[in-house]
Amino acid sequence: MMDYHPLPQPDQIETRIKEDAMGAYFMMFATMAMGIPLPILNLVAAIIYYYVNRDKGKFVQFHTLQSLYSQIPVTLLNSGLVAWTIVNLVKDLDFTGFYWGYLVMVAAANLVYFVFSLVGAIRARKGLFYYFLFFGKLAYYQVYRIRPEGGQSVMRNKPPGP
Amino acid sequence: MQKAILRDLLVLLGVFGLIWMLFSLFSYPEDPQLLSIQKEEVLGEAYVDLILLNPLFREYENSMVDSAVGVIGERLLEGLPDTEYSYHFEVFDSEMINAFTVPGGNILISTGLIGFCDTPEELAAVIAHEMGHVEERHVISRLIKELGIEILSSGDPYVIGEISSLLTSTSFDRRQEEEADSFAAELLEATSIEPRTLASFFRKLEKEMDNELLNQFAFISTHPNFYSRIRDALLYVPGDEFTTRSIDLNWEEIRAGL
Repeated sequence: MMDYHPLPQPDQIETRIKEDAMGAYFMMFATMAMGIPLPILNLVAAIIYYYVNRDKGKFVQFHTLQSLYSQIPVTLLNSGLVAWTIVNLVKDLDFTGFYWGYLVMVAAANLVYFVFSLVGAIRARKGLFYYFLFFGKLAYYQVYRIRPEGGQSVMRNKPPGP
Repeated sequence: MQKAILRDLLVLLGVFGLIWMLFSLFSYPEDPQLLSIQKEEVLGEAYVDLILLNPLFREYENSMVDSAVGVIGERLLEGLPDTEYSYHFEVFDSEMINAFTVPGGNILISTGLIGFCDTPEELAAVIAHEMGHVEERHVISRLIKELGIEILSSGDPYVIGEISSLLTSTSFDRRQEEEADSFAAELLEATSIEPRTLASFFRKLEKEMDNELLNQFAFISTHPNFYSRIRDALLYVPGDEFTTRSIDLNWEEIRAGL
């Protein structure tokens, strides 16, 4: 059984920390607009934001990591779309059904990402947690898991199973 | 927790994978299966009749040439025993070097092209390429994509006339040309004609690229990607048991009679 650090409650979190956590999501929207031709820029900005803010406590770390993780597949999907479009145009290939299907899927992913990030930002500003599907659990696991001292794994005795 | 993370990941992949697949199927308006081959053949016949009424594509009547094209066509059809199309090869009188495909298995060949080919095998390579467009249903796909199935299946004579003039200048995209080249190489091999004839014919066209008589030849419409087609044709290696059998025609006499 894995142990986790206790979660802070909204009244225990400083306003400045809540704002930094909210910033992790809002910063994405700003870079997204800038990064449309080169989606990879968003990811670079997300990584920088994570490293700059990761010393500000676990609450900020959780939100920045959740935002960063959810950004990775969206960026890859967007990059794939840009690459596919350029290849089709340069090589004069057909825009097949698979392409249009992919386009719809990427649009859906961006929309979901946008809505979740917006809700995440509002919740973070209130000092609350908000768990995205998959990325929320992953970020929580990464940030709140209690790691053994010194980073070494400790062997533990367990009682026999039922 | 790790299990829950993995489960969430699978849910995400499943949902987005499903969206991709569903919308891929939804957006296939150019699916040639929407038009049956029987319907395509009926329409094709009407298109050919109208095209041959055009003075630029008037029917060429010369029994020796018709018979030579027939011999080449028959030879190629030996390699296509299961085809659903009944092919028609029409020769039209034009000094332009040209050949094109009309729906329903109709292939139109100019006298200019016949004169340009040094051997019957070269003409066979071009016809095999056009048969590739027929078998892969490229023409009908393109028409459905550009005009829509409603217009295409319309029996209105005006619409048929408009489509006929479109067909004489229809070009294909690179993928379709490559598919037709690859089909042609296999068909030539299956009928004991050297498949790399296609490459030597490409090289000949390459030297003549400035020739105005080639302007309407859709066969080379994918220039400047033309060189990769030469390379692909040269890279085609026939099987170990492949032997060539020449097409038994007095080609010089046929060309002289044009």
